[in-house]
Amino acid sequence: MTTQLPIALLGGIGEFLTSAGHNQPVLNALLLMLAIVVPLVVALALAISGALSERAVKVCGALGFLVPGLISLWLAAVYISAFPFGGYAFEMSADLGLLERFGIQLHLGLNGLALPFYIMAGLVGMAAGFYAIQSGVERLRLYLILLLVMQGGLMGVFSSIDVLFFYFFHEFALIPTFIMIALWGRKGRKAVAIEVTIYLTFGAMITLAGLIALYLFSGAEQFNMIAMREAIVEAPYQGTLFGLLLIGFGVLVSLFPFHTWAPRAYATAPAPAAMLHAGVLKKFGLYGLIQLAYPLLPQGAADWAPLLLWLALGNLLIIGFVTMSQRDLKLMLGNASVMHMGYAFLGLYAYSTVGIGAAIMMLFAHGLSVALLFLLADVVEKRGGTSDFKELGGMGLRAPVLMGLFTAAMLASIGLPGFANFWGELGIFVALFASDTPWVLYLSLIGIIISAVYGLRAVASVFFGEAKGEFKGGDITPAEKAPALLLLISLFVIGLWPKVVSDPVNESVNRSFKDAVPTVTASTDEPTLSE
Amino acid sequence: MIIGLEHYFFVSVLLFAIGFFGVLLRKNTLVVFMCLELMLSASILALIAFSRYHTTPGQGLMEGNIFVLFIIAIAACEVAVGLSIIVALWRRNQTVELSEINELKH
Amino acid sequence: MDLGTVLSVILLAPLVAAGLIWILARQRAALAMTLSLGAAATILCLSLWLFFAGWDGSAFEISTEWLTLGSLTLDVGFLLNDLSALMLFIVAFVGFWIHLFSVGYMNDDKARGRFFGGLSIFMFSMLGIVLANNLFMMFIFWELVGFSSYMLIGHYLDTDEAAQASKKAFIVNRVGDFGFLIGIIITYWTFGTVNFNELREVVGTQPQLVTTLMGLLLFCGVLGKSAQMPLHVWLPDAMAGPTPISALIHAATMVAAGVYFLGRSFFLFTEEALHIVAWVGVVTAVSAALWAFAQRDIKKILAYSTLSQLGYMVAGFGLGSLYGLHHGDAHNALYYGIGASMFHLTTHAFFKALLFLGSGSVIHACHHEQDIFKMGGLWKKMPLTTLTFAAGVIAIAGVPFIAAGFFSKDAILYVAMKSSQPAFYLLTGTALLTALYMGRLFFIAFLGKPNSASAEHAHESPWTIVLPLLVLAVFSIGGGYMIMYPVTLQEVMGHWVPHPHGKDHTTMIIISAVASIIGLVLARIIYGAGAATDKVEKTLPPVFAISRSRFYFDEIYGYYVKKVQDRLADVVAFLDTLFISGVLVRGSAAVAGLLGVTARRLHTGSVSTYVWWFFAGLVLFGAYAGGFFDGIIQ
Repeated sequence: MTTQLPIALLGGIGEFLTSAGHNQPVLNALLLMLAIVVPLVVALALAISGALSERAVKVCGALGFLVPGLISLWLAAVYISAFPFGGYAFEMSADLGLLERFGIQLHLGLNGLALPFYIMAGLVGMAAGFYAIQSGVERLRLYLILLLVMQGGLMGVFSSIDVLFFYFFHEFALIPTFIMIALWGRKGRKAVAIEVTIYLTFGAMITLAGLIALYLFSGAEQFNMIAMREAIVEAPYQGTLFGLLLIGFGVLVSLFPFHTWAPRAYATAPAPAAMLHAGVLKKFGLYGLIQLAYPLLPQGAADWAPLLLWLALGNLLIIGFVTMSQRDLKLMLGNASVMHMGYAFLGLYAYSTVGIGAAIMMLFAHGLSVALLFLLADVVEKRGGTSDFKELGGMGLRAPVLMGLFTAAMLASIGLPGFANFWGELGIFVALFASDTPWVLYLSLIGIIISAVYGLRAVASVFFGEAKGEFKGGDITPAEKAPALLLLISLFVIGLWPKVVSDPVNESVNRSFKDAVPTVTASTDEPTLSE
Repeated sequence: MIIGLEHYFFVSVLLFAIGFFGVLLRKNTLVVFMCLELMLSASILALIAFSRYHTTPGQGLMEGNIFVLFIIAIAACEVAVGLSIIVALWRRNQTVELSEINELKH
Repeated sequence: MDLGTVLSVILLAPLVAAGLIWILARQRAALAMTLSLGAAATILCLSLWLFFAGWDGSAFEISTEWLTLGSLTLDVGFLLNDLSALMLFIVAFVGFWIHLFSVGYMNDDKARGRFFGGLSIFMFSMLGIVLANNLFMMFIFWELVGFSSYMLIGHYLDTDEAAQASKKAFIVNRVGDFGFLIGIIITYWTFGTVNFNELREVVGTQPQLVTTLMGLLLFCGVLGKSAQMPLHVWLPDAMAGPTPISALIHAATMVAAGVYFLGRSFFLFTEEALHIVAWVGVVTAVSAALWAFAQRDIKKILAYSTLSQLGYMVAGFGLGSLYGLHHGDAHNALYYGIGASMFHLTTHAFFKALLFLGSGSVIHACHHEQDIFKMGGLWKKMPLTTLTFAAGVIAIAGVPFIAAGFFSKDAILYVAMKSSQPAFYLLTGTALLTALYMGRLFFIAFLGKPNSASAEHAHESPWTIVLPLLVLAVFSIGGGYMIMYPVTLQEVMGHWVPHPHGKDHTTMIIISAVASIIGLVLARIIYGAGAATDKVEKTLPPVFAISRSRFYFDEIYGYYVKKVQDRLADVVAFLDTLFISGVLVRGSAAVAGLLGVTARRLHTGSVSTYVWWFFAGLVLFGAYAGGFFDGIIQ
């Protein structure tokens, strides 16, 4: 009925265009490559060209963000319509000479697990880019160059099958974050930039060690995900390897207790950088865990599961309380994004198709919603001059559209049905009851009360009540509204038709984990393992 | 008394010890330098002595002598470089006392 | 037209209206009103068509898969049977008249676009709950209804009162949803499905799987949504919203969703669970009735009255189901609980909506005066409103035969008498109290002489306000008689409601008559007509104080939030900053720094020292070469 309509529409377009000639796979693989190359080339062009008018800079920047965004949507449509059984698509690989002896190539491609992250990277990139272009900062050119480099890196992270390039693109995208915090951040930026740089590089080092060790112990010939998945590591080392990867990726994803960098980094960073980092780049860690650590190291995952449970609950409950105590809007949002990672880790802990699939959906939705929230929080800060709750208030009547968008974004983030976040969270809750420790469901559901408390408190403090404090500028401008609407409408569309994202994810999780993950069936007895 | 290898050895060691303790304990840079040269001379002496006393009839042991030639050449270069550094230091600090030359500390 | 399409149109029409309002009509009030009213009219017309022509009364279900992840399958679908048809009728009918009322009532409001958009979203969400065929779908719309409530309570967003009330409503509902969702998930994993029909089948074959815990957790949702104790605190505060909202959402439909849910899932409740359900209802009913006496604001009185009546409905479900389980000879005995509670839900929807709309008419006419002691003498200025309000009071008091409320309360008191004597006495006492405080309200506000300038200048309201009052008054009086309802709905109303027979029949009539009439008479005597002050407050201060205290629930919750929760949050944040950020992170940076400082001390800058180090290295090397370390290094 109504579910099939958008899928049919997308599928129809996909069919029509993919059936024309057998060259299409090549074209799509090329598009995958272009999505990475175009932002980087534009950045390079902006860097080396001489004097350019403000207008030209903005147009180039817009192009640099628009192209990967559109490519990601196009490839998503093709994938959903033409690959209903999951698996890798749009593969392309390029030999790079001397790296070949280590089994490293530039190998790109998408599978159902990568697809939601890829779409999210494109969408958030477009929103962040457009917001940056109209934000009127100093040295706009350098700003856009750094953002474009980030965007190129992000597209590379999620479309990379080769593991070294996966890591490389991540570092590529991470470095501009540090620079942007240092140059354009709010007060305290120097200290925060240094802290974030050291902390995240530390995490990345551990990750690299884990990845290389995984490669060596798996005995695969090539350092890429497909080859490594065929070779599951033998038992004695699984625990250590998984531990390395969990800690390394965990630092990058702000797993408790490695989370303290995140709120300060996001509060101090300029909004587009915060959007791209909190929204997309942070998911690198969880994506890596899902693509590599879990399929290859099932025993290791089981060994570490008890610890992961408590750490994830720490994220959820402890950071949940920390979020409730925040009095600054951006710090609160930073802490809230750390709290939500707790849900994702719990989904992984549940270690079933439902759990992992729902975690992916939740991360997809979270990326969009946290980016939207940071964008709108920045608009609020610009209008009100501050992001402190004590000094803000009563903006609702002065900026009704901003209030509407912000309330919608906040409600989406706390899991209101009708937005994409709900499906992911619901799936995680359902999966938790079927895990080894059903009681964790009760604790994690407290999260929905906590998030309602801080979310609505934020909305009420900023928008409701008597008008307080200064108010510069009018309601949200169309230029600011456009990226916000892009994200909100995406959240809404997936909220209404989750199948668009959930089907590829479902197929891919079933495929990737075929021996490792139990597909728990609901029955009148204890949950049983089945195919 | 027939002067044997051990006598040359003894002198060489004596020279080396003098030079060694001079490097460790003297405060004037030039003196330290001279003591370095003393140590080198001591090693030269020892080598020539080996060469001289291990010659079998009909076959000379030339290695020691050749080694000595190398050492002399290198010593000469080292002296040239070292003395220019000391002159530059003198120009800068008006002193060559080792205790005064400590600008590279933490 | 096939049923599936009709139901889809019914469900989606208000959503489309809301979308159009959001895009086109945020500033254009007239267009917004037209769209919203049009959607409501469409819903009513299509529903009436269903009942009179298009639907034959047999159960209809259609569903489609919406999300699949592993073994979790979420469906979206419609289930139209006796129960949902009745609820659909109530929502469509009462909803339409309230939409019409809002057109007149909100005519001076500045944010009508937002209001009518919210109203349409609410209709969409509520209809989703009514038509849902499985627990997950119902939960989705349950949350959406909570959102609409949040949005509409906070309509006057520049007032602190509205801001706090909307937040409170949402959060308290979320607390209920916490238990609700746990219950749904447990149900899912126990039975393998959440579809109502399938669940019923499985329960039929394996009744031992149903646990009390499951039922009680599901009941948590009802606690939140239908404002039962202890989650009742949000409802009186919700009166900060505009009056039509109080009528529609917080009286007639949304709060009744909990009772509707009980009806939908009745087979998931064990006997122990039903006992608890019944007693929660009884306690709520009694307490709320006691609290209504100290209120001066006309809407707050009606709010506590709603709490009390909701308690009746929940108690009716519990007691009726218990009665049906033990005296299950009639073939509909299983449904006695549903019948009793749904019947009261229906009549309550009519007369409570009427009372709220009537109060709205009064508030509108008295220029937003809400204190009843400042009213008085309205019967002369607003005769129609007074007449219809009187009909509502008679209905809620339960005067025999001329009040719909009589028949429905009768059924509940009857099952109480048969199931639990203490409950019966408490509920009968509450009936007396109900008549008493409603009489208090009526006599003080409407009779006597005006007590303030605004009451002096009151005049009758326009037709858009009065017409709904008249229609609802007719149903409040006649709603107890089956001929008022379409044939297809009479199954629930007629056969599922437990009717007393013979001697019990007369007993019940006498009891109801006594309770209602004595209550009303006592109210007239104690309070007098058109009083300017509360006599009980003056003459019996302790009694008044107990009533006004509302058993300190709000104060306890407020204390918890401010002193316990916020303090805990601050403590956790402090510990996080101290230990993790401070000791671990800064600490490790300090350790690294310490190492650096130590290493720096080696750079003394003095050549002699470097020479000694050189010598030391030489010694070590010599020792290594001489085999000194052979034992240690492998």
